[in-house]
Amino acid sequence: MSSSLKEPSALFYQSKAVKRGIIFSYWTLILLAVPLWWHTTSIQRLSLPESRINSRAQEHLELPVSLCVADVEIKSSLQSFLDAKARDDSGHWWGVKSRVYSRNDCPTTSSYLVRDSQTTIVRRNEIHLPLSNFPDAFETLANLINPPLKTNHNNRVVQYSRQYRLAFTLLNEDASAGSSVSNWDVRAGLVSRIQPILHKLEPLHNFTIESQVQFNGRLAFQPQENSDGSYGVTPEDLTVFINSAEWSLSSSVSNDPVLHFVLFIPSALRRPLHILSPDGQISRSRSFLLPQWGGIVIYNPPTDDTGKNTNLPSETNEQIFKEFSKELLSLLGVPMLPNGVKRHISEAANLSDWQIDALMRRRTAENVKNTQETLTSIVKLVNQIDNMPVKEDVRDDVQGALEALEQSHSARSLGEAFRYSAQATTLSSRAFFNPGMLALLYFPAEHKYAVYTPLFASAVIPLLIAALKEIVAWKKERRASVKDSSSTTDSNP
Amino acid sequence: MRLALCWFFLFLVGCSGVYGHEEYFNENLKISSLQDGRVSTTFSFETILKGVPPRDPRLLNAPDSSQHYIVFPLALGQILREYAVTELHLTLNAGSWNYERWGYPEESGVGTGAELWAWMGAGAPMSIDDRWQGLRNALAGLFCASLGTLDEQRTTSPTHSYFPHGILPSWNGSSAHELRHGSMPSEHVCTENLTPFLKLLPCKSLSGIASLLNPHRIFDADWHGLGIHVLWSGESGIKVRLSFQGVMDPLRPSISQKRDWSLESLFGRSIERSCPAANSSNIYVTLPSEAYNISPEPSKIVGQLASYDILGDKSFNVAMKWPRSFQYSPSYETSVPISVVRTLRGATQASGKLSLVISNHRSTPQSLVYLETMPWLVQFQLHTLHARVDGRIRDDVISNISYMAPVPHSRPATFQAELRLAPRSVTHLTMDVDKAFLRYTEHPPDAQRGWDLPPAVLIPILSDTEDNHTRSSNRQRLGQPIYTSTLLVDVATPDFSMPYNVIIFTCSLIAFIFGSVFNLLTRKFVVIGPDQPPEK
Repeated sequence: MSSSLKEPSALFYQSKAVKRGIIFSYWTLILLAVPLWWHTTSIQRLSLPESRINSRAQEHLELPVSLCVADVEIKSSLQSFLDAKARDDSGHWWGVKSRVYSRNDCPTTSSYLVRDSQTTIVRRNEIHLPLSNFPDAFETLANLINPPLKTNHNNRVVQYSRQYRLAFTLLNEDASAGSSVSNWDVRAGLVSRIQPILHKLEPLHNFTIESQVQFNGRLAFQPQENSDGSYGVTPEDLTVFINSAEWSLSSSVSNDPVLHFVLFIPSALRRPLHILSPDGQISRSRSFLLPQWGGIVIYNPPTDDTGKNTNLPSETNEQIFKEFSKELLSLLGVPMLPNGVKRHISEAANLSDWQIDALMRRRTAENVKNTQETLTSIVKLVNQIDNMPVKEDVRDDVQGALEALEQSHSARSLGEAFRYSAQATTLSSRAFFNPGMLALLYFPAEHKYAVYTPLFASAVIPLLIAALKEIVAWKKERRASVKDSSSTTDSNP
Repeated sequence: MRLALCWFFLFLVGCSGVYGHEEYFNENLKISSLQDGRVSTTFSFETILKGVPPRDPRLLNAPDSSQHYIVFPLALGQILREYAVTELHLTLNAGSWNYERWGYPEESGVGTGAELWAWMGAGAPMSIDDRWQGLRNALAGLFCASLGTLDEQRTTSPTHSYFPHGILPSWNGSSAHELRHGSMPSEHVCTENLTPFLKLLPCKSLSGIASLLNPHRIFDADWHGLGIHVLWSGESGIKVRLSFQGVMDPLRPSISQKRDWSLESLFGRSIERSCPAANSSNIYVTLPSEAYNISPEPSKIVGQLASYDILGDKSFNVAMKWPRSFQYSPSYETSVPISVVRTLRGATQASGKLSLVISNHRSTPQSLVYLETMPWLVQFQLHTLHARVDGRIRDDVISNISYMAPVPHSRPATFQAELRLAPRSVTHLTMDVDKAFLRYTEHPPDAQRGWDLPPAVLIPILSDTEDNHTRSSNRQRLGQPIYTSTLLVDVATPDFSMPYNVIIFTCSLIAFIFGSVFNLLTRKFVVIGPDQPPEK
């Protein structure tokens, strides 16, 4: 014992092999721990079906429109007319593929019958039009299949949603000033003017309806006083007409988009209130539309001497709901029939199947395009940001959207294609807005290093130095031993 | 002309009810002078939706029928229907109600902070707890109050103390309803809650009695609070009552020490025009027993209550004058049978003692229901619960204890008991409590301030002749609740600036120990003799 203390190199743990073993085991442990550390600190990024998304994003939707005509000559000329249309404005005709059949080999389902007649009338899936009147009749037909978009109306139409809330409000500017409207027959108005439309639109949207009466809804601006004592709202004022701070028009109890329909009754002190055209003249229209928000009708009731508030007269009620119904159609993007086209007497008051089908085609094309764009954006975003986690729910939504998209392409009927396209757009936007993808965005790598360095720097440096020293010592030793052995061989003759 | 007359007549019948269901809106204001010279003002805005039942929770998944309202608040109606809430009570109060000086309040819910309780029908595709959560969040959004934090850690179901104020409908024979209750004593009431409250009124604060709700004055009141009560009363339909109570002090700005008040002096406004949507609009003034002078002359006096019908009036103001200046009285007569002081004693952060001193002012015995809904961070030790009367332990005071133990980090405790107080006695209730040690993330912002604990509720039992404990009989035998003041508990808080320091410090220590051990293991030791020159 005493001898070992005097000779520390004789201690067993002072032997070179043990020392090197210790350093080696430290390093082995650290290297073994690295994968574990990597695994526990890495972000879950599941792979997305990128190639499938890219190929789907390039794909063109083809919604077949089958037209059946009796005359073979007209068949070919109509086909070439429609093909030329689609070629000339490929953006607008994106997704619509018209085919003209002769009466004999007309597909039994979802085809339109084109009949020759003097007047232009649509009825269910039939159209009667004067075919001899080339190109006007063909133009009308093309407009029925794919109604032209009015350039300044583009932003009016609300984004597609399965469910909408329709909020009807009778808004008195100041009912305590008298001669205002205290109640309206909203049920009658809905039944006669709104419900038939909603019923027709059932395959596309569901609606919940609510209505309220407000007695005090101040404007946020002063209407301009005209020379004749009436008041006017200038086009600039129309943009700030809605005083959303004070008018509690709808609550936020659900996430469904809301379409507002407001009947505005000006205060008795500021009547009549008119809408002014840009040149300052009183406009004939008493209603206006706020794109993607809703419609407003201004009604000036007669001023009563007694100053009492009254109920809305039923004829006026009817007229106002007629205007609301027009605004609703415009907001939902339901196309109008082209000029000169009339509905058959049996469905005169309602929307024709041609209009609904055209809307459905447009919505399907929109949804498909939207899904394609969203899916490519997701892939781009995930590739761009390395810290963005991709979890199962995002991957499942993306896959679901892709599948729905594929099914929409291979659907047998327009209704089916539309349903799948709607599903695809819902899933893809849900994946895009998944809150889980933002989780680690704000925990940058710098912060991690700030936490790690105090530990790792101070622990790893002695390890490194020890390892380097040992390697140097070992090399020296080997060199020495080589020299030794060479010198011994040299010395040996 | 005849048509106009007809419309006019219909308007008189009720500005509503021509199409679909009938709706009524009644508003009133009660003003009464209190013993300590203050003035209590209570606004009540009642909307009745006649003939409409609450939504059947079993049909929650089916699309709801259209909602058409005239004076009924649509924003609130949507929330009630979305979560199929049968009965709802929400109060937001600031200050603690002084029962001894002010007597019972007109609106009984005067617990400090926010209190929300609702009855919801069972059998829905969505669970009651999910609907309760949705309701909380929706009301939080509607009233800009932090009701969203009334989570399961603060939700109880004290069915022995809270009873429906209206009728609970039975759908297809089953009338199973469940109660959810939560209170948030640290919630502060201010303008941001009043603005959405006023938006629910048909005339907002622009005309009628509601125009008196001037935030500059009412939030200056010594005590103020607002409440929303929804209940179903069978035949007469769904009633929504929005209420505002304030206790004003006319003596504060007065130089002559007179209690004189007028609408103008109390609210800084008078009524300029009446609300066109109201079916009735009344102001009631409680007349004092001593000499006074009121103007204008009341349209009706019943007993001590003068009433003014201001419907259709262009402008209105009422003023009360006293000939003599006010003398503060050393003691007050109270209509409340008991008074209670609740405190949390003990200086340590680990344990304490809950103490209640309940005095019975009456010469008859008084029974009470005592309710504590305590967050889990204060845990009762029930075996230490003792009642002392005149210094002697009297365990017969407490009976019918029902206790729902807390679950740490998830559920609060619900403690309900019946107390029987001897005539003209002072009862001391004490119980040891443990204070929890919270997780780092469970501390609220400003953790050093401590946690507010909800008020306890004491409900006098009116008649002792009860023998069956069914809900309806229980409801009838219970009087108006008395809320105690809230408590503040100080739990152990960490130094929140520490985490990074701790990381650095621990890392340095680990690195130091690691380095030493590693060096010891791998260093080469040599012995150097004193005579030996060190090896080169």
